[in-house]
Amino acid sequence: MNGERNSANLIESLQKLQERYGFLPKDALMELSKDGGAPLSRIFGVATFYHQFKLESPGKVLISVCMGTACHLRGNANNYEFLRRFLRIAPGKSVSDDGLFSLEKARCFGCCSLAPVVRVGDKLIGKATPRELQKIISQVRESILREEAVRGAGGDKT
Amino acid sequence: MMRQEYWTLMDPCCDYCLHSASNPCVKYVVCRVRGPFCHKSVMCRNRRQQRVKEVLYGPQGVRINVGASSCGLATGAEKVLEAVKDNLRSMGVEAEASAVGCLGLCFMEPFIEIRSEDGPSPIYGHVSPDNVGEIFAKYFEEGSVDGAFAIRRRTGRFKDEDKVPLLDELDVWRKQVKWVSRNCGVINPESIEEYIVSGGYEGLSRALMMKPEEVIEEIRLSGLRGRGGAGFPTWLKWKVCREQPSKEKYIICNADEGDPGAFMNRLLAESDPHRVLEGLIIAGYAIGASHGVIFVRAEKPLMAARLEKAVEDARKWGLLGENILGTGFNFDVRVMRSAGAFVCGEETAMIAAIEGRRAMPRQRPPYPASKGLWDKPTVVNNVETLAHVATIMAHGWQEFAKYGTERSRGTKMFCVTGGVKRTGAFEVPIGTTIRTLVCDIAGGPHEGRKIKAVQIGGPSGGCLPEKLFDLPIDYESLQEAGAIMGSGGLVVIDDSNCMVDVARYFTSFTLAESCGKCVPCRIGTKTLYDRLSAIVEGLGDPDDLRLLEEVGTTMKDAALCALGGTAPNPILSSLRYFKDEYEEHIVGKRCPAKVCSKLVTYDINRELCVKCGLCAKSCPANAIIKTDDGFFAVDQLKCIKCGTCFITCPRDAVEKR
Amino acid sequence: MKIRINGLEVEAKEGERILDVADRLGIRIPTLCYLRGIYEGASCRICVVELNNGKLIPACAYEVSDGLVLSTDTPRIRESRRLTLELLLSAHRISCQDCPKKGECALVELCSEYGVEGIPVCAECPLHEEDCFLGRGEICLGPITISGCKAECIRDGKLCEGCRGPVTRRDVLERGRAIYLEHGIPLETVLEKLKIYCASSREFDLIRERLMAREVIEK
Repeated sequence: MNGERNSANLIESLQKLQERYGFLPKDALMELSKDGGAPLSRIFGVATFYHQFKLESPGKVLISVCMGTACHLRGNANNYEFLRRFLRIAPGKSVSDDGLFSLEKARCFGCCSLAPVVRVGDKLIGKATPRELQKIISQVRESILREEAVRGAGGDKT
Repeated sequence: MMRQEYWTLMDPCCDYCLHSASNPCVKYVVCRVRGPFCHKSVMCRNRRQQRVKEVLYGPQGVRINVGASSCGLATGAEKVLEAVKDNLRSMGVEAEASAVGCLGLCFMEPFIEIRSEDGPSPIYGHVSPDNVGEIFAKYFEEGSVDGAFAIRRRTGRFKDEDKVPLLDELDVWRKQVKWVSRNCGVINPESIEEYIVSGGYEGLSRALMMKPEEVIEEIRLSGLRGRGGAGFPTWLKWKVCREQPSKEKYIICNADEGDPGAFMNRLLAESDPHRVLEGLIIAGYAIGASHGVIFVRAEKPLMAARLEKAVEDARKWGLLGENILGTGFNFDVRVMRSAGAFVCGEETAMIAAIEGRRAMPRQRPPYPASKGLWDKPTVVNNVETLAHVATIMAHGWQEFAKYGTERSRGTKMFCVTGGVKRTGAFEVPIGTTIRTLVCDIAGGPHEGRKIKAVQIGGPSGGCLPEKLFDLPIDYESLQEAGAIMGSGGLVVIDDSNCMVDVARYFTSFTLAESCGKCVPCRIGTKTLYDRLSAIVEGLGDPDDLRLLEEVGTTMKDAALCALGGTAPNPILSSLRYFKDEYEEHIVGKRCPAKVCSKLVTYDINRELCVKCGLCAKSCPANAIIKTDDGFFAVDQLKCIKCGTCFITCPRDAVEKR
Repeated sequence: MKIRINGLEVEAKEGERILDVADRLGIRIPTLCYLRGIYEGASCRICVVELNNGKLIPACAYEVSDGLVLSTDTPRIRESRRLTLELLLSAHRISCQDCPKKGECALVELCSEYGVEGIPVCAECPLHEEDCFLGRGEICLGPITISGCKAECIRDGKLCEGCRGPVTRRDVLERGRAIYLEHGIPLETVLEKLKIYCASSREFDLIRERLMAREVIEK
């Protein structure tokens, strides 16, 4: 019975792992399987079911485009397409070719009066337009590159 | 003003008081404001009453409320709060700055309100850090309320009071009934003290003095129906669970609000989390559960954080835990953050998620009320339902039943977004017409646009055309017309939107969220989506309409859960009322609203073109060429109609036809 | 307790599912995904039965209750099953010729029973690879003809003439193309034979286009 109840913590364990690494590395999942006793297949089953969990290493900054109704009606489908092209993200992938940005379609944030909403990092941009997004992303890119230069570079791009 | 040890109403007023979490006093809640009861002391009474005033209006009698929930924060409320504090300091004004929740008037966020006991209480909208100074100068130095969006009362002591409308005179406010959202945007959601001053936890105190069966009876008399969408009578769900013989039972708060375009639950939980918690505890008491879980959506972290704080504080003061208020009732709550799956809104899927499994619904019966979380009797209630429970127990069922219709009593919160002037969250009596909500309260369409339809109930709901706007919003009327009340999200569609595109959008949503377990939903949504995609690209077949109806019908009849069962609703309802738009796409190969990019022709207007060439650079098909005189033009043979040039042009010189 | 199935009042025990009761009484309710004790998730929705209130529910997972009234064979049930089968088939990779379940496939039987088209005659053919007509150079139209006749001709020792009409599904025709080419059968001859059984010249053109596809999808 104890083991049964433990599976309740599986989602929370995965959330903690993802908080630490930014995604769910395979090794970490194997460790989790060994520690908790849940078979790796079950862990994968849960990890692949929920949207929050990422099995791919993300970029440095996450860009989430809200796919809520109000946002869709006010043009976020366009924003998403624009971002995909602007960040040069190959179809099937979610990370920009310079490894700095991850793009995802997010479920409704609940800020519908500001539609269309795009989140860049922890900044929520209301009434987003491609022009504004272009500006903000370029600014963010510059500041990341500056930071890296200051730190003497050397970090992995992915 | 210095206070020794920062005394709050929650603390004992003097050594007579013996209440603690481990040794609770049954009158603890009511004593906070109206006490002390256990001993006579004018000093203690005064101390409490003085503190109540401070809580309401700050130690100096003036308090500035800054709306700082998700909407507010997204529009810069944090900076506004800082600007408020800075300005108060630099102007030497003695007032307290407080972060509060959301008034539901999202169209004018960020907002601030200047509250005092007998002042006009002006509310200012679209506040930016830059104009805070101006607002304060007018109010504090000139004694004027000029520039306010509205004032709560006319005092005769401030200038320009006659120029500013009373909040109660504005359509957007007077047609609402703020029953369950009364505290939202008024109190600091992170303060249990403020909640108690507003009358909080009195419902719980009263409920614990009654027998659980009596609590259920009170809810039955109120006529409260689940506010999450199904509209199932709350008392009945509780009763079935109560009657289960198991000693172990669970109460779950569904805070997974997943409908895109709905944020009523988020607003309630962020602005008045204790009300929701109180309802949860009462529900737990009524059914005989000792554990509660609040299941919050991953995408709404502030909501989870506020609820967690509320749980922490309630526990600290003995409103959660063992022997609550000395009545022998043991109950505790944990907040669980979902990992992102819309299907979790379905009871059995949510239970699976709480158990750490994939959130796949299961066949019912048996219903969760008899066999739910860990196979024990479980009740799942929506955030708004629980907020109503707390309010009903505090004010009595008659107060609630005053509003609404015969079969659907009370009030309901609705979020109106999309093509309206005033988007926001509004609470109205059930039975209010769509027209009142959309045109009076939400202000009707944007300039130059006409409203075509309203989508009620999100991806499970249907669209209703403008000609049906005099329908009352209640469970039965909407169902007859082909929509559902759902959780209360209303998205207004105007003539700049395409009904087929909207139907396709909702289907893409359900497709992504389908858990994949049953055939009708798994394969049905894909089939519907593929057909709709073909239609919006001009590749539709006249036979498609029949196919959509057939597949839609089988999904409604045979799908395992409500996600699949209601997924075809947007399509079926838009076919019912907007068949002509479908036919335009299929036969005419045209999109009347000019939304579907593949059915639109893009061209560059020479009069607006500034020859910058950005369009040509951004065109992925190299379909934009430079003409001999330096302007740019679209080569229609190469154009893939992606719409990139339309978005990129800095002068809006690219036109859609 | 007592329940009423198809107008007949019968005894049922607590905890029994409708399917259990029907089995006991010899009433046939088809299933696909149900496997007692192993999988009872009611995913396929084939076993649906109709309650008195009009709702369709899966017989394999619905527990009986006193006074339950239901029907196991109504037009609505049949329509629902037909559509569910259509959906299943639309997402299914049809390769009956070399499928290990050939001859004992519940999906084929149900499709035949509910008039769902798309499965070729090969699915019902009792001959196996070595005995196949195509292997003897004879032009059997089984791989691209709609099944449902219980492969009468083939059982009588004759090959399939295609009289039920051709399957129009792209994947079946592509598979057919591959099979004919494998056995060295010229596609033109195949097309000549099936021409008279095509519903219209438009249908024939469609079949020809798909059978003669220039591009063969390489893995």
